[in-house]
Amino acid sequence: MTEYFTSSLIILPLFLALISAFSYNRTLRYVLAYLTLTSLTVMSILTFIRAQGVIITLDYPSQVGLIITTLDMLLLLYFLYVGIKKRHVLVVILAFLQVIPLIHLETVIHEVRASPTFLIDPLSATMCLIICIIGSLIVVYSLSYMEEHEKHLHLKKTRQPRFLFFMILFLAAMNGVVISNNLYWLYFFWEVTTFCCYQLIRHDLTEQSEKNALLALWVGLIGGVAFIGSMYLGVYYVYSLSIAEILRAKASVYIPLTLALLSLAAFTKSAQIPFQSWLLGAMIAPTPVSALLHSSTMVKAGVYLILRMTPAMSNFPALSYCIAAVGGLSFLSASVLAINQRESKKVLAYSTISNLGLIILCAGINTPLALMAAMFLLIFHAISKGLLFLGAGVIENRVLTRNIEHWEGMLGKYPLSAMVMLLGMVMMYLPPFGMLIGKWLTIESASSLKAISIPLVLILSIGGATTTFFWSKWMGCMLTHPPALFELKPEKIPFSYKLSMLTMVGIDVALSIFAGLVAAIIDLALKVLRGEAPVPYSLLGIFTDMGSFLTIPLILSFLVAIVLALVIARLRGGSMAPPYLCGENVSRDPYSFISTVDKPVKFDVSNLYFDRSLGSPSVNKTLTLIGMILLAFMFSLVVI
Amino acid sequence: MFERIILSLIFLTTSPILGGILRGMDRKLTARFQNRIGPPIIQPFYDVIKLWSKKPIISSNLQPVFAGLYSLLSLIALALVIFGQDLLMAVFTLSSADVSMILGSYSIRSPYSYVGARRELIQVLTSEPLLVLTSVGFYFATGSFGVSEILGLGKPLILSLPGFFIAFLMALPIEARKSPFDISASHHAHQEIVRGVFTEFSGYSLALIEIGHWIKLILFLSILGLFFPNNLLFGAVIAFLSYFLTIMVDNIFPRLTWSAMLKGVWTISLILISLNLISLFGGVLG
Repeated sequence: MTEYFTSSLIILPLFLALISAFSYNRTLRYVLAYLTLTSLTVMSILTFIRAQGVIITLDYPSQVGLIITTLDMLLLLYFLYVGIKKRHVLVVILAFLQVIPLIHLETVIHEVRASPTFLIDPLSATMCLIICIIGSLIVVYSLSYMEEHEKHLHLKKTRQPRFLFFMILFLAAMNGVVISNNLYWLYFFWEVTTFCCYQLIRHDLTEQSEKNALLALWVGLIGGVAFIGSMYLGVYYVYSLSIAEILRAKASVYIPLTLALLSLAAFTKSAQIPFQSWLLGAMIAPTPVSALLHSSTMVKAGVYLILRMTPAMSNFPALSYCIAAVGGLSFLSASVLAINQRESKKVLAYSTISNLGLIILCAGINTPLALMAAMFLLIFHAISKGLLFLGAGVIENRVLTRNIEHWEGMLGKYPLSAMVMLLGMVMMYLPPFGMLIGKWLTIESASSLKAISIPLVLILSIGGATTTFFWSKWMGCMLTHPPALFELKPEKIPFSYKLSMLTMVGIDVALSIFAGLVAAIIDLALKVLRGEAPVPYSLLGIFTDMGSFLTIPLILSFLVAIVLALVIARLRGGSMAPPYLCGENVSRDPYSFISTVDKPVKFDVSNLYFDRSLGSPSVNKTLTLIGMILLAFMFSLVVI
Repeated sequence: MFERIILSLIFLTTSPILGGILRGMDRKLTARFQNRIGPPIIQPFYDVIKLWSKKPIISSNLQPVFAGLYSLLSLIALALVIFGQDLLMAVFTLSSADVSMILGSYSIRSPYSYVGARRELIQVLTSEPLLVLTSVGFYFATGSFGVSEILGLGKPLILSLPGFFIAFLMALPIEARKSPFDISASHHAHQEIVRGVFTEFSGYSLALIEIGHWIKLILFLSILGLFFPNNLLFGAVIAFLSYFLTIMVDNIFPRLTWSAMLKGVWTISLILISLNLISLFGGVLG
C-alpha cells in the first residue's frame, strides 16, 4: 500500500503527461487536466496524512536504477545536442562536465549504499502537497490560458498537447525531487526539471524565448555539475549516496564541501544572486509557466534542498552564515530593484527572488524558529505568488500589455481578476496573512543571534519597507478609477480561471486563519527533520519565547474593521465630484484641465520608479559580481 | 488582571480624545510661535464634527472605505500595544493602516492625490525600518517583543537604547506630518502642493483620516513611553516633551526634499542604531 502511494506520486503524473502529449482533442485535454488535479490532490493528501505518523521509505531494485541511468544519459546527450545545435559553448561544456564523470561514476556506483531510494517525511510530504495542489491548479488554469494565447498568436496547428505534457511532467519531476533520498535519483529528477523548464520557456519558439531558454538551461546545468561533484564526494568519502546518510556523516571533512556544492545547486534553481538572470529571462514564457516556476516548482526545489540540509549545516556555522548572506543579499537587492520594474511579471519575478532569499536567509540562521519562518514563507509564497501570476495572466491576455502603468484602473475593468491580484498582493506583505506571519517569525528569529543579528535586522527592516513600497504602488495603480461610482460588476471569465484562482484564495485565507494549525504541522515536520522541539502552538495563534501572534483575534478585528469601514462608506455615501484641478476642470472630460488660451490639456499620472539610481545597467552587474565574490568566499572557506 | 483590562480599555477609548487635545495644543503652540492667539484647545473636535456633518462629496466610493480602514487599523495597532501584545505585530498593523490611506489616495485619478500618495509612500519607506528596528531594540534590551513583558521590566530602557530612542524621535515628525519631514502633507499651507495626500479626501472621509491621525499620534507617544517602563508617568512626560520638541522643530525648519529625508534619516538613524547595538553587545551599555 505504501509503495503504491509513494511511486504513484511520480508515475501517475508521468502517465497523464504521456497521454496529454497526444491530446489534440480539446475535451481530452480538459479531462486530463482535471484528472491531474483531482488525482494528485487526493494522492498528496493521503501521503501527507500518512507521513504524519511514520517516515515512508521505499527501495527499488537495481534494474529500475538502470532505467534511471539510461534516461539520465539520454537527457544529458540531449543537452549536449542542444548546445551543439545552438552553438552555445557553455551548454556544451557543462553537459560534457556531467556526461564524462557520470560514465565514470557508473563503474563505482554499485559498490556504495544508496538506500532507501525514496523517503517521505513530513517535510517532503508538505512539499508534495504544495506541488500537487498548487501545481495542478495551475495546470487547470493553463487550459483556458493557452487557448487565449494561441488565439492571439494565430497558430495553424495547436501546440497545447506539448505544453500540457511538459507542465504535468514538471509536477512528476518535482515530486521526484522532494521524495528522493538517493542522490543519484535526486540528480536525475533535478535534471528533468531543468529540461522541462527549458522546454516551457522556449514554448513559443521566438528568437528571444530560445535565447532566454538557453540561459535558463546553462544556469540549470551549473547546478547539475555541482550535483555530480557532491555525488563524487558521497561515493568516495562517505561510501553512500543516501542523502540521509551523507547529511548524518559528521566525521568527514568533506561534508562542508558537499553542503556547499548542494547549496550552489540550490542557488541556481532558486535564482539567487548571482544566478538571478535566468528567472527574469523566463518571463518570456506563457504566464502559466511562470506561475508554475515561481510558486510550486523549480525555484522551490532549491529552497527545499537547503531546508533538507539544515540539520547538517548546524555543525558548520561559518558555512551557514555564508548561505544566509547569499539569501540576505538576494532578499534586499531584489526587493529594492522591484521598485524600478514596469513590467508586471518582472515585478513578480524580483519579488520571488527576494522572498526565496528570505527563506534561504532563514535556513542559514538555522534555529528552530527560523526554520519555522522559512516553512511559513515557503508555503504561503507558493500560494500567493501562484495567485498573482494567475491574475496577471488573465489581465495580460485582455489588455495585451505587461506594463503596469497601463494597468491603471483594472479593478473597474476586470473586477474578479484584479481583485484576485490585489488580494494576492495584500497576502504578500500585510497582516493578518501567512506571508507576514513568516516575516514576523523571520525578524524575531534573526534577533536572537546577538552580534550577528545586527546586519540581519538591518537587512530585514529595510527590505521589508521596500517590499511595502513596490507592492503598494502597484496596488494603488490598479485601484485608480475614473470619478464615477465604483461598482463590482461580475466578470465573465472561463470556469477554469475561476476555479484555480478562487481555490487558491480560499486556501490562503483558510491557512492564514488556522496559522496555529499550520505551525503545528510545520513543528512536526521540523521535529522529524532535526529531532528538536520548536515553538509550542495553539489554535488561537503562534506563541514563541519572544513574542506572540494572536492570529484569530487579529483576523477577527481586521474583519470588523473592514465591515465597519464599508458600512460607514455605504451609509454616508456621497455625491460625485471630479478630481481637484485648481478649479480648471473641463466639464465633460475628467482627465483634462483648462490651460492657457482656454485650451483643454490632458493630464497624466504615473508612479515612482527611481530610474536614475536603480535603473542603471551597472546595478545588475555589480550585484552579480558581489554574489560571485560571496560564493568564492564560501567555497574558499569550506576548502580551507 | 481585571483592573488592568479595564484601565487598558479606558485608555483605548479615550485615545482619540487625548490625541485630539494634543493636536489642539499643537495648534495653540504653533500660533504662539507665530505671534498669533490661535484657536481654542478643543478646536480639532469642532473641526471633525463640522467635517462629519458636511454634505458628503466624494470622487470615488473606495476612498471613504480606505479612510475608515486607516483609522480603524490604527486603532487595532494601538490596541495591540495597550493590551501588551507583540510590538512587531503592532508595527505591521500600523503600516497596513498607512497603506490603506495611500491606496485611498491612489484610488482617484487626480494629479495632486497621486503626488501625495507617492510622497506618502516614501515617508512610509523612510519610517517603517525605524519602527521595526525599534521593536527589535526593545527585544535586545528585554528579551521579548511582548509589550507586557517589556513593561514588566523594572529598569529604564533609555539607558540601554539611547540610539534607538533618537532614531525613533526622527520617525516622530514623519508620522506626525511635521517639518522638516512633512513631505506628503503639511499643516502649514505655505509649503504644500494643494493638500498633498489628503487632496481628494473631504467631509466625513477627512474626519476619519483626522481621527486616525490622533490615534496614531497616541500610539507613537505610547511607544516612546515604553522606553521608560519603570515609571510610565515619567515616560508620558518625556513623550509629551518629545512632541513639544517636534512642534518646535516644525516651526523652525522648512520642509526637506524627499531624497534628503530618505538619505538623511536612514544614514543617521541606522548608524546610531548600529552603534547602539555594538555597544550593547560589547557590554558598554547595560
